[in-house]
Amino acid sequence: MRWLLAGMAVLALATPVAAQRQDTTRLPTGVRLDVFYNTMSRPLVAVRPFAAPPEAAAVAEQVHAIIEQDLDYSDRFVIAEVPEALKAGPVTLGAWNDLGVVFLVTAEVEPFGDAYMVRLALHDVPFGSLKEIQAFRVPPPSDGGFRMAIHALADELVRWMTGQPGMAASRIAFVRPRRGGGEELVVVDSDGENPERVANADLIVSPAWSPDGKRLAYAAMVGGAWQIAERNLETGESHTVVRAPSGAVAATPTYTPSGDRLVFAMLYGNASEFHEYDVARRCCMRRLTRSPGVDISPTFSPDGARLAFNSNRIGSPQIYIMPAEGGQATLLSPYVYGEGSYYTSPDWSPTGTKIAFHGKSRGGWFQIMVADAANVGAPVSQVTQEGENEDPSWAPDGRHLVYTSVRASGQGLYVVDTFTGRERQVLSLAGAKVPDWSPTLRRAAEFAMAGR
Amino acid sequence: MKLRSLVVLSVAFAAMALGACSRRQPPPAPAQQVDDEAARRAEEERRRAEEERRRAEEAARRRAEEEARRAAAEARSILTEMVHFDFDRSDIRPDARETLQRKVAVLRANPGVTLAIEGHADERGSVEYNIALGLRRANAVKDYLVGFGLDASRFETQTFGESRPLDPASNEAAWARNRRAEFRITGGGDNLVLPQTSQ
Repeated sequence: MRWLLAGMAVLALATPVAAQRQDTTRLPTGVRLDVFYNTMSRPLVAVRPFAAPPEAAAVAEQVHAIIEQDLDYSDRFVIAEVPEALKAGPVTLGAWNDLGVVFLVTAEVEPFGDAYMVRLALHDVPFGSLKEIQAFRVPPPSDGGFRMAIHALADELVRWMTGQPGMAASRIAFVRPRRGGGEELVVVDSDGENPERVANADLIVSPAWSPDGKRLAYAAMVGGAWQIAERNLETGESHTVVRAPSGAVAATPTYTPSGDRLVFAMLYGNASEFHEYDVARRCCMRRLTRSPGVDISPTFSPDGARLAFNSNRIGSPQIYIMPAEGGQATLLSPYVYGEGSYYTSPDWSPTGTKIAFHGKSRGGWFQIMVADAANVGAPVSQVTQEGENEDPSWAPDGRHLVYTSVRASGQGLYVVDTFTGRERQVLSLAGAKVPDWSPTLRRAAEFAMAGR
Repeated sequence: MKLRSLVVLSVAFAAMALGACSRRQPPPAPAQQVDDEAARRAEEERRRAEEERRRAEEAARRRAEEEARRAAAEARSILTEMVHFDFDRSDIRPDARETLQRKVAVLRANPGVTLAIEGHADERGSVEYNIALGLRRANAVKDYLVGFGLDASRFETQTFGESRPLDPASNEAAWARNRRAEFRITGGGDNLVLPQTSQ
């Protein structure tokens, strides 16, 4: 917390950064709001250009650009402009301290066999000390794993500075229309880079990452029939989990936190059921629930004890929580009788404390909302304000959400930091839908070199 | 005497001349030739009548075909006319009831016809919930039709959720058009007839 005090002192001088977009005139009534913009906790961080011999200069620049952007996207810091005089030479923490910088990141990048060594250092400026230093061996930029390795280093810096997990070393799965008809399941890095096609079908919905980040389950319509499939992203192997009978739809698969089972909705014309399937043993289909309405979009609490889901049992879609093994369902969304409230697409945060969903009331626009999982009935935060926003999914850091947005300024995939309200567009793309954010896929420890 | 003989000669010449003239005139038509001509004319008449009858028949056939085609097209258009729904609803609206009752009559007149009923939703709300909503709409239509005594096996239901809007615009009018059930004839679609009562 010591940097926080220092940060608060210097932030008075720093440019105001968080967008003040709380437009209360646009908010639907009946939604109890608690939007908080905790902008004061963002310390000033400088990422000095990384030192490198000439043959590694270009790589060092790439590594620097990725890390600086990741730290910006983490929404935990204000990224400082680096003055020309401080771009190279010995590190003089006093000069950085005069600028109000709280953390200084420096690095050296050198060729290391057919890879590169990145020696990262984090300086605690107000206290004039070297906080962390560690060397990492990362693949060259020509390697498909290069960017993800650098993202893992950025997440490590976030952990060094805040003690909290980052979310840069993760990917986002989503569905988009395919040229020539049908739809395709695509995966991109958390910063929108490295698009990779994973599957295609007539229709695809509900991609879901396995907790180990190695598999993706999704629902698809193939030749008029609905099925749930699982694809192993490492081997490229895929298999059909279940084929829905004619006139039924299998949709919204989600993994149990252990990752060995999938729970999904089987929808009939006038009923719906949750089923569970053992993907580890590829057997043992079991019906969990049956409802005369639409019960859909199950999502587990991280401890696996509870399940949030979407149901229209009271006439309009609302979010409920129930024990994972069945039992009484409790209304979570801010339903108000007669106001046409409509809430769907719940996603339980990896930290377990929040449930995000989207919805509206009284004919307003669809917005992303966050409810407190432990405190049903507490005010719900609305974290988007502009345009139509749908299908939120939590980042592995438990504070960012990805969702689809259609707004005057553009459409595609957007990310919001639920702590500060900062929003950014990840991908500009018409027709992008149902994003699902992966868990952390790579960790800096995998690249750490012994010693310093 | 000389004068008399001259007169006789003249008469003789005249007679000869007359005789010559008589021989150059066409002979009177024989009875056989008269009969052939009549037959030919009759045949022509008959052929013309036959042709006329054939043409009339052809025209009638064409008219009937045209009528059948028109009836089939109308039956097809009744069968495939879409019905619309209110926001987040799958119950059959009064205007949709009329549309569906016309389908019931056509389905009764064409017992071999099978239909795919495809439910669609507008773009608002979750993609997944809208898939469920599309399925419920298709099923509500099927239930309504089956309620008239039609065999449930003649209908299959499908949903496309919000993925196939008729109108890609984002406004009330587009959304109203996009909240629909569409109908596709999947069997027995040849030689459709209209129900007797509606002709």
